[in-house]
Amino acid sequence: MSDSLPPSRRSFLIASGAGMALSSLPFYAHSKEAPVSLDQYEPGYFTADEWRFVMAATARLIPSEGDGPGALETHVPVFIDRQLAGEYGSAKDWYMAGPHDPTASPDRGWQTPLNPAQLYRKAIPAFNAWCQLRWSKDFTELSTEQQDQALTALQKGEAELNPELSVFFSTLLSNTKEGYFADPMHGGNYGMQAWSYIGFPGARASYMEWVDQHNVKYPLGPVSIKGERA
Amino acid sequence: MKKALRILGVLVVLVVLAALAFIYVPVQTTPPNEQLAADWQPETGRGEYVMRAGDCMACHTADGGSPLAGGRGIDSPLGTIWSSNITPDKETGIGNWTLDQFRAAMVDGVVNGKHLYPAMPYENYRFMSESDIRALYAYLMNDVKPVNNAVQATELAFPFNLRFGLRAWNWLALSGDSTFKPMDGDEQQIRGQYLVEGAGHCAACHSPRTTFMAQDGTRLGDANFLAGGELEGWSVPALRGPGASIEKWSTAELAAYLGTGRNVHAIANGEMALAVEHSLQYLNDKDLNAMAVFLKTMDGQAVQEAPKQVAAPGPHATPAARADEAGQATAKLLTAASPDMPLGARLYLDNCAGCHFVTGKGAPEIFPELQGNAMVLGKDPSPLVSVILNGTAIASTSRRPMHLVMQGYADRLNDDEVATLASFVRSAWGNNAAAVTPAQVSQVRSSSPQ
Amino acid sequence: MARIEKKKDVVIVGLGWTGAIAGIELAEEGLEIVALERGRDQNTVPEFKYPNQIDELTYGVRLKNMQHPSQQTVTIRRNDSETALPYRSMGSFLPANGVGGAGVHWNGLLWRPQPEEIQLRSYVKEKWGESIIPEGMNLMDYPVTYDELEPFFTRFDLVAGISGKAGNLNGKIQEGGNPFEGWRSQDYPMPPMPRTYDSTKFEAACKAMGYHPFPAPGGIASTAYVNPYGMQMAPCNFCGFCERFGCYQYSKSSPQTAILDALRRKPNFTYRTHAEVLRVESSPDGKTATGVTYFDAVKQEEVFQPADLVILSAYQLNNVHLLLVSGIGKPYDPATNEGVTGKNYAYQMNGGVNMFFKDANFNPFIGHGSNGICIDDFSVNQNDFGKLGFIGGAYWRSGTFNGQPIRSMILPTDTPTWGAAWKKSIKEWYGHTMSIGTHGSHMSYRANHLDLDPTYKDPHGRPLMRMTFNWQENDLKMNQYMKRKAGEVGHAMKPDMMRLGFKDVGAQYDVRPYQTTHNTGGHIMSDSPLEGVVNRYCQAWDKHNVFVMGAGNFVQNTQYNPTGMVGALAFWTIHAIRTLYLRNPRALV
Repeated sequence: MSDSLPPSRRSFLIASGAGMALSSLPFYAHSKEAPVSLDQYEPGYFTADEWRFVMAATARLIPSEGDGPGALETHVPVFIDRQLAGEYGSAKDWYMAGPHDPTASPDRGWQTPLNPAQLYRKAIPAFNAWCQLRWSKDFTELSTEQQDQALTALQKGEAELNPELSVFFSTLLSNTKEGYFADPMHGGNYGMQAWSYIGFPGARASYMEWVDQHNVKYPLGPVSIKGERA
Repeated sequence: MKKALRILGVLVVLVVLAALAFIYVPVQTTPPNEQLAADWQPETGRGEYVMRAGDCMACHTADGGSPLAGGRGIDSPLGTIWSSNITPDKETGIGNWTLDQFRAAMVDGVVNGKHLYPAMPYENYRFMSESDIRALYAYLMNDVKPVNNAVQATELAFPFNLRFGLRAWNWLALSGDSTFKPMDGDEQQIRGQYLVEGAGHCAACHSPRTTFMAQDGTRLGDANFLAGGELEGWSVPALRGPGASIEKWSTAELAAYLGTGRNVHAIANGEMALAVEHSLQYLNDKDLNAMAVFLKTMDGQAVQEAPKQVAAPGPHATPAARADEAGQATAKLLTAASPDMPLGARLYLDNCAGCHFVTGKGAPEIFPELQGNAMVLGKDPSPLVSVILNGTAIASTSRRPMHLVMQGYADRLNDDEVATLASFVRSAWGNNAAAVTPAQVSQVRSSSPQ
Repeated sequence: MARIEKKKDVVIVGLGWTGAIAGIELAEEGLEIVALERGRDQNTVPEFKYPNQIDELTYGVRLKNMQHPSQQTVTIRRNDSETALPYRSMGSFLPANGVGGAGVHWNGLLWRPQPEEIQLRSYVKEKWGESIIPEGMNLMDYPVTYDELEPFFTRFDLVAGISGKAGNLNGKIQEGGNPFEGWRSQDYPMPPMPRTYDSTKFEAACKAMGYHPFPAPGGIASTAYVNPYGMQMAPCNFCGFCERFGCYQYSKSSPQTAILDALRRKPNFTYRTHAEVLRVESSPDGKTATGVTYFDAVKQEEVFQPADLVILSAYQLNNVHLLLVSGIGKPYDPATNEGVTGKNYAYQMNGGVNMFFKDANFNPFIGHGSNGICIDDFSVNQNDFGKLGFIGGAYWRSGTFNGQPIRSMILPTDTPTWGAAWKKSIKEWYGHTMSIGTHGSHMSYRANHLDLDPTYKDPHGRPLMRMTFNWQENDLKMNQYMKRKAGEVGHAMKPDMMRLGFKDVGAQYDVRPYQTTHNTGGHIMSDSPLEGVVNRYCQAWDKHNVFVMGAGNFVQNTQYNPTGMVGALAFWTIHAIRTLYLRNPRALV
């Protein structure tokens, strides 16, 4: 499949533009993602409860307070929802055949029989159940301090989840950071805010003239794959 | 009164007779320009080589069709002209043709008394030698697979369907006789001239056209020979005169460009890329050098030495050129990478600088220069806009086998952005060509294939 | 019943580096050649085109350019008492898929082993005596010498197109190059790449300590380049998306830049994609291969491709797997140390020093895969094994190769991994860190080997290959030595903070973090059929018309990235086929 314009056939007579047969081809509209606000987003994978959980959890993992955008400003929950609805969520590329040993130590890699989408689906209610035991509330109803405590416990493996869910925290945290920093076309890093925050130029990927500018901070903001500029 | 009527009658009869003669008296065909023995045989491979030099494939092979079996539609403002089947099929091809008939097609543009539309560049081919024509004939008759393909008849609108009209056209178009007139130069220059004027038919694109759409300058000595032309609205560069790109190229660079479509400065695209792919890449080093030498000495310039081997294989390393004086300001602006830079410069950094660099010099033989580039600076910006939107490619050739492709940016840039970007490259690094409007971009975009 | 294709003179399994080299060199002999590639066709445009390729998530994290475990993977255990579990989602190593193979997504580092590494057992025996070789280490000499391979190292250098500076030209040491390298007959075809800021700081520190810095040798073009096939490269623009990504710029050396379009022009060469070879088929007397059986994924059927000559050019893991399922070479049994196929699996022993400089601006996204300055002062031929207590060595390199924020966010030790403190830390430290990497040798051991898994299968019903592998004391000791010495250099550079990452003695193999795609061994070269699967010409001892390419031939892994040796051995093997084998097909040893 060639990316180049197939050259016109040999026409022998010049004419100013009259020679070409015009067919009715669709106009190449310039498409960049239309902005969508978080409260208007309709999840493709998460249920309403799961969505509320992910909003609350990611908001603690990368909070809004302080310098720089948080998970919500960058639409990380949108990213995670889209990932779980797609090939990553269904572990399409992974070897998921059994037998499984989810009790295997973490350094053996992903060994739960659950794919990422199933993992979220099962781990969120299980984690909520633990929060209920501890505070008589679901995660989303806790104060931010309590939420941080809950996540810390989850991270340390103290939330007594079923072994097949033990990889949930690290997956959630990885997905959150992925959503924070990935190209905006994937749904997160809204407006390239995370890139602007740390000074990463995004998809420009061309710096030959800057190699020898030693110890000088590169000043130009990012560009995304679709061509958005900041 | 009666006398007047009689005179009128005689005049009418004379006119009718002249018309009838014009229509029905067979055209005198040109005799061979070399006397060859009846059993003369060309060297092995010569006929195929002439076919390549003349680029018969370009018109006589349809997309996905059998080689030389015709059926390619060639657009003209007067309608579509369908190329004929020149395989030796007896029913639908040229299997029954004699050498004389073949020569008449090549030199006089006549086939069985019928005139060919000058889509067939007999205006140029007529300078070819008898031995080349005969070798080509032998190749087509003996070495090409006969293919049964009845090509549809060309039907132009009235009065262009009256082929005898071409006889009049030929009186206007074909100035002088068809003898090749060698220049005052050495063997290499004359060989180059022979290829450029004849089989190469370079004037068919690189010379302007007269009002009657004949080539305005088919040979050295004609005022407008290779002075630049137009093809479907796209300008074809001049090969002579001040401002001609090749004036700045060495002979070796020109030979390399012809043979591979790429040199230190430029990469062929569009129609020229096709000419390289189907024709020029097959010429041997001696002939490519000869053509380059001729083109570089047409107006009496001194002959420049060029290496015997055109575009020799590596290993060789050539650094990307630095910005010259004319390019300094733009290179500095781009290098500064200031968030306040103008949008055109910003778009260039985000889309183009990766390959064409802040110097606008690209990289030798692989990314063309934008500074001083004929296509970038053309009066009509459509080719530049088309390349930005759709990309471009140069085919694999024997000496430079890499199929080099530039991707298009139609999905990433809207019309405003393309216009701003195109205007930027046309005015950066000392370039000085008019700005491009979004409307111009829109026009190119809507006529681009999906 | 498999469909049967028309017989070919040569069938090549896998169209990556070694398959492309085999194809273009053998095509010169006028042979009818077909290459079978499991994955898709790939070209710079459209598959690696800008800007779509510059997508850290898709290619850097979701690994879309790689072999998918769902199509093929291995099971892994650290020792014989563990049950091997599938490598389900990839981490430690990343095999490729598609035309070009790993040559598409590698970093470009292109080295030659030191001459001592090629005869390492003899070297150890001569200098310290064999008694220093630990129990269980299968230390061997390659059955070829550096001098024999030198013209082929050079040939691959020129075909691949590499940038750098020679340190030893025909025995004369050259200023600015690596003084400890093996001799070269020619300098690098392209000059070294320009230096980024971090590598100049490292260079200065090394010089001050009396070490010998030199530019990293890379298959990354510093100029426009034309190779002996007329293929072309463009100068690299330091885009910072090298490993895991195809190069959009024609700058990273790959089969796409060096060979493929030239190969496609050969009328006697064809290739088929979506064609996964399942087995090498054998004659009834077992002495020769008759061709291969592959699965045509487009037509969804098995196909038998008969051929006179079979060349296995798949990735090391897949080559060994193919040999095991095809019964070529007696499978290795670690208990008795007998058998050959699957023996001497090795990997790479790496470490790193991260340094934090509050006031320095590093622009980490400006880099390429072979960026940086190296030193070989702690390499194999510089270490006193007897005194230091290990056999091995490492090269060091400092130079940013990417600043991609998901994967390359270096933060000080003890930084919380989430929350407000994390968010503050990434702003504070992104662009203010640099690192020194040590890249060390890995010996072969009885304990580390490959065989067929008893439980898990691939989509075609073949058993997965099982990898039994763990770090061994010898290499971990070497690593700790590098930690000490690299830490010294780090200190000397006076960073605000330092963070060291070096596995210690007792470390267990963790399959999650990426640790190089330098899997070696499994079908090693040997002087006798009792010791290896192939002879010095990489010709199978068992079947004279089967030649096997790639790092599976390595008797142990060198301290360097393997590609230089892989390419040289490929040219060496094909040269032997052309000059010795074709006119009289037979066992060459």
